[in-house]
Amino acid sequence: MRVLTKTSLYYLLVSLVVFAVGGTVFYLTLREEIYDEVDDQLFTDKENIIAYIRQYDRLPNVTSGISEAIHVRKANPEKLVMEQLKDTLIFSSYDEEFIPFRQLTFTAYRQGEPYEYTIFKSVMDFEDLTESTVLAMVWIFLLLLVGLVFVNYYINKYTWRHFYGTLAKLKSYTLSQHQPLALRQSNTREFEELNQVLQSMTGKIHNDYLNLKEFTENVSHEIQTPLAIASSKLELFMQSENITEEQALLLSDMYSALNRLARLNKSLILLTRIENREFSVEERVPLHRLLQEQLAHLQEIIAMRELEVRQEELDEAYLHMNSGLADVLLQNLLNNAIKHNKPGGSIKVLLNSQKLCIRNTGDAPQDQPEKLFGRFQTGHDAVGSLGIGLALVKKICDIYGLIPKYNYTNGEHSLCIYFTK
Amino acid sequence: MKILVIEDEAALKDSIVAYLKQEGYTCDEATDYRSALLKTASHTYACVVVDLTLPDGNGLNIVRSLKENHTDTGIIIISAKNALDDKITGLEVGADDYLTKPFHLSELNARLKSVLRRRNFNGQKVLRVGEVEVQPEAAEASVAGKPLTLTRKEYELLLYFVSNRNRVLTKESIAEYLWGDHIEMLDSLDFVYTHIKNLRRKIIEAGGQDYINTVYGLGYKFMSP
Repeated sequence: MRVLTKTSLYYLLVSLVVFAVGGTVFYLTLREEIYDEVDDQLFTDKENIIAYIRQYDRLPNVTSGISEAIHVRKANPEKLVMEQLKDTLIFSSYDEEFIPFRQLTFTAYRQGEPYEYTIFKSVMDFEDLTESTVLAMVWIFLLLLVGLVFVNYYINKYTWRHFYGTLAKLKSYTLSQHQPLALRQSNTREFEELNQVLQSMTGKIHNDYLNLKEFTENVSHEIQTPLAIASSKLELFMQSENITEEQALLLSDMYSALNRLARLNKSLILLTRIENREFSVEERVPLHRLLQEQLAHLQEIIAMRELEVRQEELDEAYLHMNSGLADVLLQNLLNNAIKHNKPGGSIKVLLNSQKLCIRNTGDAPQDQPEKLFGRFQTGHDAVGSLGIGLALVKKICDIYGLIPKYNYTNGEHSLCIYFTK
Repeated sequence: MKILVIEDEAALKDSIVAYLKQEGYTCDEATDYRSALLKTASHTYACVVVDLTLPDGNGLNIVRSLKENHTDTGIIIISAKNALDDKITGLEVGADDYLTKPFHLSELNARLKSVLRRRNFNGQKVLRVGEVEVQPEAAEASVAGKPLTLTRKEYELLLYFVSNRNRVLTKESIAEYLWGDHIEMLDSLDFVYTHIKNLRRKIIEAGGQDYINTVYGLGYKFMSP
């Protein structure tokens, strides 16, 4: 949940509670006041009525006071009601509904006889008042709420804008891009601190990264010469006469290990150079033609492995990229399809303007598919494989915005490169 | 035939010189830029093998000066940089070939021979080992005058063998010579075996002897009788 939504929600919640409690208290107070008032009026009426009786010895007119009705009956002397306040409902035939009344019952003596008087006062008007007051309250509440949330949202949005800017920059930040993290200044202290911390942190990480990269590059390059020396000495050694069979085997093992190291190193250097975007010369590369060249180049190996190549679709397709890297890409894809195949299997090639798919038969992968594009991920069946081919593929795809996708279905590995996003 | 080897790593330079001397070339050596320039100025070489990264200068300048003053001299660049740009610049400036370290000495030898042939230094247009003749210009081969029908790879293999006659050639170096270093080894080692078997059969069928000897554990050797 976004911080804006969250604070807005909390505001809403707190306002809701405050208004609920406030509204209830307000309502109760108002009611209390109204009842007080009604009761006061009823008591005043009572005094007036008693005074009237004393003076005129008869009942006053109904309309003489505030009360809307007076009900008189002879009181039962054994059950005298001295004074009693009560709520009651009286059916109004005009409105066809019950109308709330407040009634005061009291006993007054006339000519020595006790009479029970009940006077009524409608509280309908007061109820209406309460209702409209509450309604007004609700409206005020709603308006205030909307205003509050609105203002809160925009103020927050305004003050958090640098934070969101920073976040967006961080999201698009990659180490291999050689650009420092440029964050906008903020006058909010926390955000400014955050920016400073982030800037110094990424700066440090970037420096470490550069150092490490430089180290790897240097190592790779520096290794070339000793490798060349060792391999040339071995080759000279091999030319010498009277080498025993045992020595020959030792030499041969050394030589192939050295060769493996040399190839590995070359691949790593290539990988680094792609990463450094050193292959800047780009042109419109005809993939279909390159693919056919590569297939022709690999034809012997394919035939020897008794594989069948099926060109399901081979449309013209052009990519804007370095032609050397396009070669590396196709070579590695095809090598991969040959290497992880089984004798008598097949390789299906599909190329159109959207994608290039190479599918080959083979055993199910043991690793998770995401891992396949990592370095030094080798399947169990590929002896002598460096496990760097697909890492190269991934790297090349990365710098040209291509999307490689792998899956395994029905005994077939499928590796597709999508050209558009 | 005089060859100049310019390489600052003494150990590597010694290997190259040793291999080339066994091939019968006369070798001069230089380990830095200045002495290399001096030598190229005062002598004429059939071919110069030059390392691009020298302690006191860029080997490319040597290539440039050679192109200006000794147009007949063949030039092979060897470099650890493996940089495509270097390769392109090197070939643009006029080098005949380019090898990245580490390389097989036998491959350097084959390339050197090819450069010398192209430069036509001693008019040797036909390579001959016993009854086997290879004519690189026409890309043809024959045994005792009888033409051999070879696939392209078999022809290249024969050329490689003939260029390095009496030398032990490892399977790895043959594979790399035939398929380049970008092809991951795959089954190319078994493959080398298949091609050698076919080549051997074709030579014998054409009436030649078995020139290709298997050197136990190491590789193959094309023996001149």
